[in-house]
Amino acid sequence: MMRRSAAIGVLFLTVLFCTAPRGANAQDARAFVGTLGEQAIQVLGPSVPTAQRQARFRVLFHDDFDIPGIGQFVLGRYWRAATPQEQRDFLGLFQEYLVRAYSARLGEYAGEPFRVTGSRPNGEDTIVTSEIIRPNGNRIAVDWYLIGSGGSHKITDVYVAGVSMKVTQRDEFASVIQRNGGRVEALIVQLRQKLAAG
Amino acid sequence: MRVRRLPLILSGLFAAALAVSGCAAPGPSGTAQAADAENDFNDPFEDANRGIFGFNQAVDAAVLVPVAKTYRTVLPPPIRQSLRDFLRNLNAPVIFANDVLQGQVELAANTLGRLAVNTTIGVGGMFDVATRIGIPYHSNDLGITLAVWGFAAGPYVVIPVLGPSNPRDLIGRVGDGFADPGNYVAGQHHLLWAVVARSGTSGIDERSRNIESLADIERTALDNYATIRSLYRQRREAQIRHEQSNLPNPTPVQGGDSGPDPSMTYSVAPTPPSREASPK
Repeated sequence: MMRRSAAIGVLFLTVLFCTAPRGANAQDARAFVGTLGEQAIQVLGPSVPTAQRQARFRVLFHDDFDIPGIGQFVLGRYWRAATPQEQRDFLGLFQEYLVRAYSARLGEYAGEPFRVTGSRPNGEDTIVTSEIIRPNGNRIAVDWYLIGSGGSHKITDVYVAGVSMKVTQRDEFASVIQRNGGRVEALIVQLRQKLAAG
Repeated sequence: MRVRRLPLILSGLFAAALAVSGCAAPGPSGTAQAADAENDFNDPFEDANRGIFGFNQAVDAAVLVPVAKTYRTVLPPPIRQSLRDFLRNLNAPVIFANDVLQGQVELAANTLGRLAVNTTIGVGGMFDVATRIGIPYHSNDLGITLAVWGFAAGPYVVIPVLGPSNPRDLIGRVGDGFADPGNYVAGQHHLLWAVVARSGTSGIDERSRNIESLADIERTALDNYATIRSLYRQRREAQIRHEQSNLPNPTPVQGGDSGPDPSMTYSVAPTPPSREASPK
């Protein structure tokens, strides 16, 4: 009951901020992350069926993450080497891969208190800092890198305890490509197999 | 006689680490930039490392995970928490020494305060009273100190059973082991078993907190080895910057608080796998 009213409160604030004048950009960004974090943590955990959790994450990644930008970064120098068709294939598979991987990997944070602690500008972008409080009292810093302003923010990276989601993904995919003779196609095949295997 | 052997093994490791590192020449501390250079994994021994990684995964699945699960099933959460607090308190002198060596006055004061409070009011370290009164735990180790002093990490290496490391962290691990007063006292009294029991318990405790997160990474990753390698590097870099130094490293196998902790979670990376999973 408490949780629900808190969530409604956050939602209400978000609506407020989204209609606020543009000067409130940092506040917008914080409210955006606050809502998103609440939503994400609510759909985590063993009580939520896997299919439902993945469906929610799919919407979340699609609406709130800059998948094309992240995808380009993750492929790095292989992005230009890829054909337009490969680029399209990759982005589609990549988004689904993120849904599968992160709905599983973030599962341990189910229902844990999440709060936005602040924000700072990063060039033209905004970094919103937040933390998750573990049952043992440890706090895990989660930093969100956002582009955009007003009501339309997109997430370009998430740092958990100093570890970047997109750097981790880039390192992994680059390794796969390198070990297959530098062929982006090999990564696409492996992604397809992984997703088909469930 | 049995106790004599430990320093021998350690000095052997030390020599090996030096050899691997090319004498650990001081280098620019710009490991972050170097690591950011695209696809530079700093992993010249990748084939050998992957072999050892596979071996470690097998040991992990056959021995460590079952033991860690049993540990988690048999001991209730408060006992495990006390054990962990006790092991952390034992490690406080080494953490303090590294805080000082890095010139981190505030961290050093925290560690000293924690040691005093937890050893007395916390009944020999079994209760982390210090965290409750606002002095939270942080880890520190000689690998971080060496990095702060400007030594380069050297190539990525996977150590049998111990997991991800590099010459700098390996040397740090050995140095911390020598500096540890607990090990010294145990050596004086010919209590090698106590040293082994401490590091073993701490490794199992650490593993028991990462069972689900590491399994999730292994299940979802295309290349588990590359993912763990990336998480290890990023996590250590964050620790060197003294961000979130209260969390353990992301190492699949091992990484206790009594030893230097290396590790994904890492995981979390979003995986930072090396986060502490809540006991389930």
